[in-house]
Amino acid sequence: MQITVFDRFLWVTGFFGHILLLLVLFRRGLARSFTMFTTLIAFSVARTIILYSVYRSLPADYVNAFWYLAVPYDALWFLVLFEVAMHVFRPTGVWPRDVWKSFIGIACVSAIVPLPLTWLAVPSTATLARVVVVRGTFFCAVLMSELFVGMFALSATEGLPWKTHVARIAQGLGAYSVVCVVTQAISDYFGNEPHVYAVLGRLGNAVYVVCEGYWIVMLWQEAPAPRELPESMLTQIYALQRQVEDDLISIRDWRRS
Amino acid sequence: MRSICFAGLAALFLATLIGVALHYYLRVRRSAGATWEGLLKQLIWIDRDKIEAIAMDAVAESGEPRPDDDAFSLDSSAIWTLLGGLEGLEALEKNCRVLVELAAYLQRWHPEALVVAEQLRLNAREIEWHVGRLKGAAQTGNLQSSFGDYAQRAVVTYYFMTRHVLELYDRAGFAGLAELQGAL
Repeated sequence: MQITVFDRFLWVTGFFGHILLLLVLFRRGLARSFTMFTTLIAFSVARTIILYSVYRSLPADYVNAFWYLAVPYDALWFLVLFEVAMHVFRPTGVWPRDVWKSFIGIACVSAIVPLPLTWLAVPSTATLARVVVVRGTFFCAVLMSELFVGMFALSATEGLPWKTHVARIAQGLGAYSVVCVVTQAISDYFGNEPHVYAVLGRLGNAVYVVCEGYWIVMLWQEAPAPRELPESMLTQIYALQRQVEDDLISIRDWRRS
Repeated sequence: MRSICFAGLAALFLATLIGVALHYYLRVRRSAGATWEGLLKQLIWIDRDKIEAIAMDAVAESGEPRPDDDAFSLDSSAIWTLLGGLEGLEALEKNCRVLVELAAYLQRWHPEALVVAEQLRLNAREIEWHVGRLKGAAQTGNLQSSFGDYAQRAVVTYYFMTRHVLELYDRAGFAGLAELQGAL
Protein backbone atom coordinates (compact mmCIF):
# COMPACT_ATOMS: atom_id res chain seq x y z
CA MET A 1 0.00 0.00 0.00
CA GLN A 2 1.38 3.36 -1.01
CA ILE A 3 1.66 5.98 1.74
CA THR A 4 0.21 9.27 0.52
CA VAL A 5 0.67 12.80 1.85
CA PHE A 6 -2.78 12.55 3.46
CA ASP A 7 -1.70 9.34 5.21
CA ARG A 8 1.36 11.12 6.57
CA PHE A 9 -0.81 14.03 7.71
CA LEU A 10 -3.15 11.66 9.59
CA TRP A 11 -0.17 9.86 11.05
CA VAL A 12 1.43 13.06 12.36
CA THR A 13 -1.88 14.51 13.58
CA GLY A 14 -2.79 11.26 15.32
CA PHE A 15 0.63 10.98 16.94
CA PHE A 16 0.68 14.51 18.33
CA GLY A 17 -3.00 14.21 19.22
CA HIS A 18 -2.16 11.18 21.38
CA ILE A 19 0.67 13.06 23.11
CA LEU A 20 -1.61 16.02 23.77
CA LEU A 21 -4.32 13.70 25.07
CA LEU A 22 -1.83 12.05 27.42
CA LEU A 23 -0.86 15.48 28.75
CA VAL A 24 -4.54 16.33 29.29
CA LEU A 25 -5.13 13.03 31.12
CA PHE A 26 -2.22 13.65 33.49
CA ARG A 27 -2.77 17.39 33.89
CA ARG A 28 -6.44 16.90 34.79
CA GLY A 29 -5.66 14.01 37.13
CA LEU A 30 -7.72 11.59 35.03
CA ALA A 31 -4.89 9.13 34.37
CA ARG A 32 -5.41 7.44 37.72
CA SER A 33 -9.17 7.03 37.26
CA PHE A 34 -8.82 5.88 33.65
CA THR A 35 -5.72 3.70 33.83
CA MET A 36 -6.63 1.50 30.87
CA PHE A 37 -7.60 4.40 28.66
CA THR A 38 -4.32 6.15 29.50
CA THR A 39 -2.45 2.90 28.77
CA LEU A 40 -4.25 2.62 25.42
CA ILE A 41 -3.20 6.15 24.46
CA ALA A 42 0.39 5.59 25.65
CA PHE A 43 0.50 2.30 23.71
CA SER A 44 -0.79 4.13 20.62
CA VAL A 45 2.12 6.57 20.88
CA ALA A 46 4.60 3.69 21.20
CA ARG A 47 2.93 1.83 18.33
CA THR A 48 3.24 4.83 16.02
CA ILE A 49 6.96 5.18 16.85
CA ILE A 50 7.58 1.44 16.28
CA LEU A 51 5.62 1.34 13.03
CA TYR A 52 7.33 4.45 11.72
CA SER A 53 10.75 3.00 12.57
CA VAL A 54 9.86 -0.28 10.83
CA TYR A 55 8.52 1.61 7.82
CA ARG A 56 11.76 3.60 7.52
CA SER A 57 14.19 0.75 8.12
CA LEU A 58 12.38 -2.48 7.11
CA PRO A 59 9.48 -1.50 4.82
CA ALA A 60 8.87 -5.11 3.79
CA ASP A 61 8.03 -6.02 7.39
CA TYR A 62 5.67 -3.10 7.93
CA VAL A 63 2.46 -5.05 7.29
CA ASN A 64 3.47 -7.88 9.62
CA ALA A 65 4.45 -5.42 12.34
CA PHE A 66 1.11 -3.65 11.89
CA TRP A 67 -0.89 -6.85 12.43
CA TYR A 68 1.25 -8.06 15.34
CA LEU A 69 0.68 -4.78 17.14
CA ALA A 70 -3.04 -4.91 16.35
CA VAL A 71 -3.48 -7.81 18.81
CA PRO A 72 -2.43 -5.99 22.04
CA TYR A 73 -4.09 -2.83 20.71
CA ASP A 74 -7.47 -4.58 20.32
CA ALA A 75 -7.03 -6.26 23.71
CA LEU A 76 -6.49 -2.84 25.29
CA TRP A 77 -9.73 -1.60 23.71
CA PHE A 78 -11.63 -4.36 25.51
CA LEU A 79 -9.91 -3.48 28.77
CA VAL A 80 -10.89 0.17 28.31
CA LEU A 81 -14.46 -0.95 27.71
CA PHE A 82 -14.38 -2.94 30.95
CA GLU A 83 -12.94 0.08 32.74
CA VAL A 84 -15.81 2.23 31.46
CA ALA A 85 -18.26 -0.45 32.62
CA MET A 86 -16.72 -0.44 36.09
CA HIS A 87 -17.11 3.34 36.33
CA VAL A 88 -20.75 3.23 35.26
CA PHE A 89 -22.06 0.06 36.85
CA ARG A 90 -20.21 0.07 40.17
CA PRO A 91 -21.06 3.48 41.64
CA THR A 92 -20.37 2.22 45.16
CA GLY A 93 -17.36 0.09 44.23
CA VAL A 94 -19.13 -3.27 43.99
CA TRP A 95 -21.06 -4.82 41.13
CA PRO A 96 -24.80 -4.91 41.92
CA ARG A 97 -25.86 -8.53 41.41
CA ASP A 98 -28.62 -7.75 38.90
CA VAL A 99 -26.38 -5.45 36.86
CA TRP A 100 -23.51 -7.96 36.80
CA LYS A 101 -25.83 -10.70 35.52
CA SER A 102 -27.22 -8.43 32.81
CA PHE A 103 -23.73 -7.27 31.85
CA ILE A 104 -22.52 -10.86 31.45
CA GLY A 105 -25.69 -11.65 29.46
CA ILE A 106 -25.04 -8.72 27.13
CA ALA A 107 -21.40 -9.77 26.73
CA CYS A 108 -22.42 -13.37 25.84
CA VAL A 109 -25.09 -12.30 23.34
CA SER A 110 -22.71 -9.71 21.87
CA ALA A 111 -20.10 -12.42 21.35
CA ILE A 112 -22.57 -14.66 19.49
CA VAL A 113 -24.14 -12.07 17.15
CA PRO A 114 -20.94 -11.25 15.17
CA LEU A 115 -20.26 -14.94 14.42
CA PRO A 116 -22.54 -15.30 11.36
CA LEU A 117 -21.44 -11.89 10.09
CA THR A 118 -17.78 -12.78 10.46
CA TRP A 119 -18.35 -16.17 8.85
CA LEU A 120 -20.03 -14.52 5.84
CA ALA A 121 -17.25 -11.97 5.42
CA VAL A 122 -14.92 -13.33 2.76
CA PRO A 123 -11.56 -11.64 2.85
CA SER A 124 -9.71 -12.34 -0.40
CA THR A 125 -6.33 -12.30 1.24
CA ALA A 126 -3.55 -14.59 0.27
CA THR A 127 -2.64 -16.34 3.49
CA LEU A 128 -4.58 -18.06 6.23
CA ALA A 129 -2.91 -15.82 8.80
CA ARG A 130 -4.27 -12.72 7.03
CA VAL A 131 -7.74 -14.26 6.78
CA VAL A 132 -7.68 -14.88 10.54
CA VAL A 133 -6.45 -11.34 11.25
CA VAL A 134 -8.96 -9.63 8.93
CA ARG A 135 -11.88 -11.69 10.24
CA GLY A 136 -10.66 -11.26 13.81
CA THR A 137 -10.49 -7.48 13.39
CA PHE A 138 -13.98 -7.38 11.94
CA PHE A 139 -15.28 -9.59 14.78
CA CYS A 140 -13.68 -7.26 17.35
CA ALA A 141 -15.17 -4.15 15.74
CA VAL A 142 -18.68 -5.65 15.70
CA LEU A 143 -18.33 -6.94 19.26
CA MET A 144 -17.00 -3.63 20.53
CA SER A 145 -19.81 -1.58 18.97
CA GLU A 146 -22.41 -4.01 20.35
CA LEU A 147 -20.93 -3.86 23.83
CA PHE A 148 -20.98 -0.07 23.85
CA VAL A 149 -24.59 0.09 22.76
CA GLY A 150 -25.49 -2.75 25.16
CA MET A 151 -23.84 -0.95 28.07
CA PHE A 152 -25.61 2.25 27.17
CA ALA A 153 -28.97 0.46 27.08
CA LEU A 154 -28.25 -1.34 30.36
CA SER A 155 -27.30 1.87 32.17
CA ALA A 156 -30.48 3.57 30.93
CA THR A 157 -32.61 0.63 32.08
CA GLU A 158 -30.93 0.33 35.45
CA GLY A 159 -30.99 4.09 36.07
CA LEU A 160 -27.23 4.42 36.36
CA PRO A 161 -26.01 7.78 35.06
CA TRP A 162 -22.77 8.24 33.12
CA LYS A 163 -20.46 10.74 34.71
CA THR A 164 -19.23 13.41 32.30
CA HIS A 165 -15.72 12.15 31.55
CA VAL A 166 -16.71 8.48 31.34
CA ALA A 167 -19.48 9.41 28.93
CA ARG A 168 -17.12 11.41 26.73
CA ILE A 169 -14.55 8.61 26.54
CA ALA A 170 -17.26 6.06 25.76
CA GLN A 171 -18.89 8.27 23.12
CA GLY A 172 -15.59 8.58 21.24
CA LEU A 173 -14.81 4.88 21.47
CA GLY A 174 -18.37 3.88 20.55
CA ALA A 175 -18.54 6.20 17.53
CA TYR A 176 -15.18 4.97 16.27
CA SER A 177 -16.23 1.32 16.75
CA VAL A 178 -19.35 1.85 14.63
CA VAL A 179 -17.30 3.56 11.91
CA CYS A 180 -14.87 0.59 12.02
CA VAL A 181 -17.76 -1.82 11.49
CA VAL A 182 -19.01 0.21 8.51
CA THR A 183 -15.60 0.56 6.85
CA GLN A 184 -14.62 -3.06 7.43
CA ALA A 185 -17.99 -4.33 6.22
CA ILE A 186 -17.65 -2.30 3.00
CA SER A 187 -14.05 -3.42 2.62
CA ASP A 188 -15.00 -7.09 3.11
CA TYR A 189 -17.90 -6.71 0.69
CA PHE A 190 -15.45 -5.61 -2.01
CA GLY A 191 -13.16 -8.52 -1.15
CA ASN A 192 -10.61 -6.29 0.57
CA GLU A 193 -9.58 -4.87 -2.79
CA PRO A 194 -6.40 -2.83 -2.04
CA HIS A 195 -7.68 0.49 -3.40
CA VAL A 196 -10.99 0.29 -1.47
CA TYR A 197 -9.17 -0.95 1.62
CA ALA A 198 -6.80 2.04 1.50
CA VAL A 199 -9.58 4.62 1.05
CA LEU A 200 -11.66 3.13 3.87
CA GLY A 201 -8.57 2.87 6.07
CA ARG A 202 -7.97 6.60 5.58
CA LEU A 203 -11.60 7.32 6.41
CA GLY A 204 -11.28 5.29 9.63
CA ASN A 205 -8.06 7.08 10.58
CA ALA A 206 -9.61 10.49 9.88
CA VAL A 207 -12.58 9.65 12.13
CA TYR A 208 -10.16 8.52 14.83
CA VAL A 209 -8.30 11.86 14.65
CA VAL A 210 -11.64 13.65 15.07
CA CYS A 211 -12.34 11.44 18.14
CA GLU A 212 -8.93 12.36 19.55
CA GLY A 213 -9.78 16.05 19.17
CA TYR A 214 -13.11 15.44 20.88
CA TRP A 215 -11.41 13.70 23.82
CA ILE A 216 -8.78 16.43 24.17
CA VAL A 217 -11.41 19.18 24.32
CA MET A 218 -13.91 17.30 26.49
CA LEU A 219 -11.45 15.83 28.98
CA TRP A 220 -9.76 19.20 29.41
CA GLN A 221 -13.06 20.69 30.57
CA GLU A 222 -14.04 20.26 34.20
CA ALA A 223 -17.03 18.05 34.96
CA PRO A 224 -20.10 20.03 36.12
CA ALA A 225 -19.86 20.72 39.84
CA PRO A 226 -22.20 18.65 41.97
CA ARG A 227 -25.08 20.49 43.59
CA GLU A 228 -24.82 21.07 47.29
CA LEU A 229 -26.83 18.82 49.53
CA PRO A 230 -27.74 20.31 52.92
CA GLU A 231 -25.96 18.58 55.80
CA SER A 232 -29.27 17.74 57.47
CA MET A 233 -30.59 16.06 54.35
CA LEU A 234 -27.37 14.09 53.92
CA THR A 235 -27.67 12.69 57.44
CA GLN A 236 -31.30 11.82 56.82
CA ILE A 237 -30.54 10.16 53.52
CA TYR A 238 -28.06 7.87 55.25
CA ALA A 239 -30.63 7.11 57.95
CA LEU A 240 -33.12 6.29 55.20
CA GLN A 241 -30.68 3.94 53.56
CA ARG A 242 -30.15 2.04 56.83
CA GLN A 243 -33.90 1.77 57.42
CA VAL A 244 -34.63 0.56 53.90
CA GLU A 245 -31.84 -1.97 54.11
CA ASP A 246 -33.17 -3.35 57.42
CA ASP A 247 -36.68 -3.56 56.00
CA LEU A 248 -35.55 -5.36 52.89
CA ILE A 249 -33.59 -7.94 54.87
CA SER A 250 -36.74 -8.87 56.77
CA ILE A 251 -38.99 -8.68 53.71
CA ARG A 252 -36.73 -10.95 51.68
CA ASP A 253 -36.77 -13.50 54.51
CA TRP A 254 -40.51 -13.88 54.91
CA ARG A 255 -42.63 -16.21 52.86
CA ARG A 256 -46.35 -16.30 52.48
CA SER A 257 -47.44 -19.48 54.19
CA MET B 1 -24.60 -14.46 -3.35
CA ARG B 2 -22.56 -14.73 -0.16
CA SER B 3 -21.43 -11.10 -0.53
CA ILE B 4 -25.04 -9.96 -0.90
CA CYS B 5 -26.05 -11.93 2.21
CA PHE B 6 -23.14 -10.39 4.06
CA ALA B 7 -24.03 -6.84 2.95
CA GLY B 8 -27.71 -7.35 3.87
CA LEU B 9 -26.91 -8.78 7.28
CA ALA B 10 -24.33 -6.07 7.99
CA ALA B 11 -26.82 -3.34 7.02
CA LEU B 12 -29.49 -4.91 9.23
CA PHE B 13 -27.06 -5.17 12.10
CA LEU B 14 -25.99 -1.53 11.78
CA ALA B 15 -29.57 -0.28 11.47
CA THR B 16 -30.55 -2.20 14.62
CA LEU B 17 -27.50 -0.99 16.51
CA ILE B 18 -28.08 2.65 15.59
CA GLY B 19 -31.82 2.35 16.30
CA VAL B 20 -31.22 0.89 19.78
CA ALA B 21 -28.54 3.49 20.54
CA LEU B 22 -30.83 6.33 19.44
CA HIS B 23 -33.76 5.00 21.49
CA TYR B 24 -31.72 4.86 24.68
CA TYR B 25 -29.91 8.10 23.92
CA LEU B 26 -33.22 9.96 23.79
CA ARG B 27 -34.34 8.25 26.98
CA VAL B 28 -31.13 9.19 28.80
CA ARG B 29 -31.31 12.77 27.49
CA ARG B 30 -34.85 13.15 28.81
CA SER B 31 -33.75 11.73 32.14
CA ALA B 32 -30.62 13.93 32.36
CA GLY B 33 -32.65 17.09 31.82
CA ALA B 34 -35.18 16.24 34.51
CA THR B 35 -35.43 18.21 37.75
CA TRP B 36 -36.21 16.74 41.16
CA GLU B 37 -39.62 18.41 41.17
CA GLY B 38 -40.27 17.34 37.60
CA LEU B 39 -39.55 13.73 38.50
CA LEU B 40 -41.87 13.85 41.50
CA LYS B 41 -44.64 15.10 39.24
CA GLN B 42 -44.32 11.93 37.19
CA LEU B 43 -45.43 9.80 40.14
CA ILE B 44 -48.86 8.28 39.67
CA TRP B 45 -51.41 8.50 42.43
CA ILE B 46 -51.88 5.21 44.26
CA ASP B 47 -54.33 4.72 47.13
CA ARG B 48 -51.91 4.56 50.01
CA ASP B 49 -54.50 3.14 52.44
CA LYS B 50 -54.95 0.11 50.23
CA ILE B 51 -51.21 -0.35 49.80
CA GLU B 52 -50.88 -0.13 53.56
CA ALA B 53 -53.66 -2.69 54.05
CA ILE B 54 -51.89 -5.18 51.82
CA ALA B 55 -48.52 -4.54 53.45
CA MET B 56 -49.81 -4.69 57.02
CA ASP B 57 -51.51 -8.00 56.25
CA ALA B 58 -48.05 -9.52 55.97
CA VAL B 59 -45.73 -7.50 58.18
CA ALA B 60 -45.83 -5.39 61.30
CA GLU B 61 -44.97 -1.67 61.39
CA SER B 62 -41.41 -2.64 62.19
CA GLY B 63 -41.10 -4.57 58.95
CA GLU B 64 -40.94 -7.93 60.72
CA PRO B 65 -43.35 -10.69 59.61
CA ARG B 66 -46.52 -10.68 61.72
CA PRO B 67 -46.42 -13.56 64.20
CA ASP B 68 -50.18 -13.61 64.91
CA ASP B 69 -52.72 -15.93 63.30
CA ASP B 70 -54.38 -13.06 61.43
CA ALA B 71 -51.33 -12.56 59.23
CA PHE B 72 -51.75 -13.31 55.53
CA SER B 73 -55.51 -13.20 55.82
CA LEU B 74 -55.94 -11.51 52.43
CA ASP B 75 -56.30 -13.98 49.61
CA SER B 76 -55.00 -13.37 46.10
CA SER B 77 -58.29 -12.02 44.76
CA ALA B 78 -58.60 -9.53 47.65
CA ILE B 79 -55.04 -8.29 47.03
CA TRP B 80 -55.78 -8.09 43.32
CA THR B 81 -58.87 -5.95 43.98
CA LEU B 82 -57.09 -3.70 46.50
CA LEU B 83 -54.22 -3.19 44.07
CA GLY B 84 -56.62 -2.20 41.30
CA GLY B 85 -55.83 -5.13 39.03
CA LEU B 86 -53.33 -4.90 36.25
CA GLU B 87 -53.72 -1.10 36.07
CA GLY B 88 -52.73 -0.81 39.71
CA LEU B 89 -49.73 -3.01 39.10
CA GLU B 90 -48.70 -0.87 36.16
CA ALA B 91 -49.01 2.29 38.29
CA LEU B 92 -46.79 0.62 40.89
CA GLU B 93 -44.28 -0.26 38.18
CA LYS B 94 -44.29 3.28 36.76
CA ASN B 95 -43.74 4.76 40.21
CA CYS B 96 -40.80 2.41 40.70
CA ARG B 97 -39.38 3.67 37.41
CA VAL B 98 -39.66 7.22 38.76
CA LEU B 99 -37.93 6.14 41.98
CA VAL B 100 -35.11 4.69 39.86
CA GLU B 101 -34.91 8.06 38.09
CA LEU B 102 -34.84 9.85 41.47
CA ALA B 103 -31.96 7.60 42.51
CA ALA B 104 -30.16 8.42 39.24
CA TYR B 105 -30.76 12.12 39.89
CA LEU B 106 -29.18 11.79 43.35
CA GLN B 107 -26.22 9.90 41.87
CA ARG B 108 -25.74 12.49 39.14
CA TRP B 109 -25.94 15.64 41.24
CA HIS B 110 -25.17 14.59 44.78
CA PRO B 111 -22.26 12.13 44.71
CA GLU B 112 -22.05 12.26 48.51
CA ALA B 113 -25.42 10.50 48.59
CA LEU B 114 -24.15 7.74 46.29
CA VAL B 115 -24.69 4.87 48.69
CA VAL B 116 -28.27 5.68 49.53
CA ALA B 117 -29.08 6.47 45.91
CA GLU B 118 -27.75 3.09 44.87
CA GLN B 119 -29.78 1.41 47.61
CA LEU B 120 -32.95 3.19 46.50
CA ARG B 121 -32.24 2.17 42.93
CA LEU B 122 -31.73 -1.46 43.89
CA ASN B 123 -34.96 -1.53 45.92
CA ALA B 124 -36.96 0.04 43.14
CA ARG B 125 -35.47 -2.44 40.67
CA GLU B 126 -36.38 -5.31 43.01
CA ILE B 127 -40.02 -4.19 43.04
CA GLU B 128 -39.95 -3.75 39.28
CA TRP B 129 -38.72 -7.32 39.05
CA HIS B 130 -41.61 -8.65 41.17
CA VAL B 131 -44.16 -6.65 39.17
CA GLY B 132 -42.58 -7.80 35.91
CA ARG B 133 -43.01 -11.44 36.97
CA LEU B 134 -46.68 -10.76 37.78
CA LYS B 135 -47.34 -9.08 34.45
CA GLY B 136 -45.67 -11.98 32.69
CA ALA B 137 -47.79 -14.43 34.66
CA ALA B 138 -50.94 -12.42 33.79
CA GLN B 139 -50.10 -12.65 30.10
CA THR B 140 -49.58 -16.42 30.25
CA GLY B 141 -52.66 -17.03 32.42
CA ASN B 142 -50.64 -18.12 35.48
CA LEU B 143 -51.43 -15.08 37.56
CA GLN B 144 -53.25 -16.98 40.31
CA SER B 145 -50.29 -19.23 41.11
CA SER B 146 -47.70 -16.44 40.90
CA PHE B 147 -49.63 -13.79 42.76
CA GLY B 148 -48.93 -15.06 46.26
CA ASP B 149 -45.22 -15.21 45.55
CA TYR B 150 -44.71 -11.78 44.06
CA ALA B 151 -47.57 -9.32 44.64
CA GLN B 152 -47.60 -8.94 48.39
CA ARG B 153 -43.82 -8.91 48.58
CA ALA B 154 -43.68 -6.14 45.96
CA VAL B 155 -46.31 -4.12 47.80
CA VAL B 156 -44.58 -4.52 51.16
CA THR B 157 -41.24 -3.41 49.68
CA TYR B 158 -42.93 -0.50 47.93
CA TYR B 159 -44.81 0.49 51.06
CA PHE B 160 -41.73 0.67 53.27
CA MET B 161 -39.55 2.33 50.70
CA THR B 162 -42.06 5.07 49.97
CA ARG B 163 -42.76 5.53 53.67
CA HIS B 164 -39.09 6.22 54.27
CA VAL B 165 -38.96 8.63 51.32
CA LEU B 166 -41.92 10.50 52.81
CA GLU B 167 -40.31 10.59 56.26
CA LEU B 168 -37.15 11.94 54.67
CA TYR B 169 -39.12 14.66 52.94
CA ASP B 170 -41.01 15.50 56.10
CA ARG B 171 -37.88 15.80 58.25
CA ALA B 172 -35.99 17.78 55.64
CA GLY B 173 -38.91 20.21 55.48
CA PHE B 174 -39.14 20.11 51.71
CA ALA B 175 -41.95 21.84 49.93
CA GLY B 176 -44.47 19.70 48.13
CA LEU B 177 -44.74 17.02 50.81
CA ALA B 178 -48.52 16.90 50.50
CA GLU B 179 -48.23 16.34 46.75
CA LEU B 180 -45.71 13.60 47.28
CA GLN B 181 -47.86 11.92 49.91
CA GLY B 182 -50.73 11.97 47.49
CA ALA B 183 -48.67 10.47 44.72
CA LEU B 184 -46.96 7.77 46.71
